[in-house]
Amino acid sequence: MSPSAFDKPRFLRVFSFLVYLFLFVPILVVILFSFNTIKSLNVFHGWSLQWYQEFLDDPSLRESLFASLEIAFATMVVSTVIGTALAIGLVRSRAGWAPGANILMLVPLVVPEIVTGISALLIFSQIGIALSIWTVIIAHITFSISYVTIVVRARMAAISQEVEEAAMDLGATRWQSVRLVLVPALWPSVVAAALLVFAFSFDDFVLSFFTTGEDLQPLPVRIWSAIRFGLSPTINAIGTLMMVVSLTAIAIAVVLPRLFGRRESGLKVLTAGEG
Amino acid sequence: MTAGRFWDRFLLPGGVWLLLLFAVPCVLVLALSFGYVDDLGRAVYATDLDNYSAAFDPTYTPVLFRSVLYALTTTALCLLIGYPVAYYIARYGGRYRNVLIALLVLPFFVNYLVRTYAWVALLADEGLVNNALIDIGVINDPIRMINTPWAVIGGLTYGYLIFMILPVYGSLERLDRSVIEAGKDLYGTPLQTFLHVTLPQTKQGILAGAVLVFLPSVGDFVAAQLLGGPDTYMVGNLIQDQFFAANNWPFGAALTVVMMIFLSVWMVAYLRSAARDVRGAAI
Repeated sequence: MSPSAFDKPRFLRVFSFLVYLFLFVPILVVILFSFNTIKSLNVFHGWSLQWYQEFLDDPSLRESLFASLEIAFATMVVSTVIGTALAIGLVRSRAGWAPGANILMLVPLVVPEIVTGISALLIFSQIGIALSIWTVIIAHITFSISYVTIVVRARMAAISQEVEEAAMDLGATRWQSVRLVLVPALWPSVVAAALLVFAFSFDDFVLSFFTTGEDLQPLPVRIWSAIRFGLSPTINAIGTLMMVVSLTAIAIAVVLPRLFGRRESGLKVLTAGEG
Repeated sequence: MTAGRFWDRFLLPGGVWLLLLFAVPCVLVLALSFGYVDDLGRAVYATDLDNYSAAFDPTYTPVLFRSVLYALTTTALCLLIGYPVAYYIARYGGRYRNVLIALLVLPFFVNYLVRTYAWVALLADEGLVNNALIDIGVINDPIRMINTPWAVIGGLTYGYLIFMILPVYGSLERLDRSVIEAGKDLYGTPLQTFLHVTLPQTKQGILAGAVLVFLPSVGDFVAAQLLGGPDTYMVGNLIQDQFFAANNWPFGAALTVVMMIFLSVWMVAYLRSAARDVRGAAI
């Protein structure tokens, strides 16, 4: 790199382009070979849907797909409610233990997932709850609460308390001011957070791996076992379908806030207030 | 009811949930790490230190050391790859900035297992990369890529790159352009300006990114399992083995605690800055 390369867009442009290639090529390869006519992952022979057929014809894989969708849906509903309340509380409450709750909320985001998974496994076995998709849902909710809180709080911080006070001056009770003023103002970020959590939960492997039972396993856990038997285009097909599910959720998360009339917040939410 | 009390209720469901299902379980891990496995294979709580002396046994210390080494290399690679991209988008992205960032984020919503699996297909001895290299005549025999440390580090870098790019991009975007202009007047060359103005101003973003890449990398077991072999085992694989193969939960718990002690310095530093930042921008 020449000394001034860092300020030269041409070098940076080529470099960035290569990084985008690095990010997308593997994924495109997965998609391409999911349509292969032959059971090969290095020679593309022709287009077919047989691996999708194979996936959807397998009753146990189908059950796993539905289990994953159920887990993601339940996780989304519960964690969005709890996480939104927590975000509101963290911004408005002056309780002495609020900073403690804040730390408690942040820790799951930085602890490696394997630790969260093991902790969940231990508490379930300690109380004597058999592992099932319910334990997976509980573990997913624990992690997702923090995520929802971060996303909603970013929006919450921009809302002035005076608006609620104005509503109360006009005769609204405190609850009404929350329901009729605060929640509608937060709504785009709540919806986006919900969809992001759905995508996260649907894709999650590590937490599911530690907390799932034997009978009915979420799709990523099935992928894990399948990979260890060897590569197969069926895995590509499952992966591609999962991609479609999560990207749909993400697309809605980005588009919905725009429909609500806030042009910027959609992409902002995608990167949790970063973009 | 005072206004303050009213808002406290909103903290309760989340606070209690996280306390009972996150904080308490973490304490359980700590407690079980002093336990042992009885003759029937059950985990028993106790106050032994045996698991910890076992964790620092010469059999396992290389694994701990390797995990930290791989994670640090991954962090460095993510910075080297991620910074220029974030810089390019922040400075030259113009009105396409948001689209460019969204495109970067997109691959990370593809299942991590599937993304890692993609690299297995690419890097295998008869995989696409080797086949392509042989076809164009660069090599005659396949190069061994899979089951090497670099495959694992590459997989981790691919997996966690975005966690570096986003915070760095955030801090670059907040950077005042006029400061760079002033820096140019002051230091002259672009490199000097970059080193003396831009880099220090984005230190916060780099640190956040480094922590967010380093922490999950150390605990990862997917990349090492799929892209590596026994020689590239990381502490995550070791821990996972204790719970699923060796059925020695107390030892697994002790390894987890040891790993967390390694990570705690980074975590505390990060949490202190994140706790102050209400916007939560750093995550």
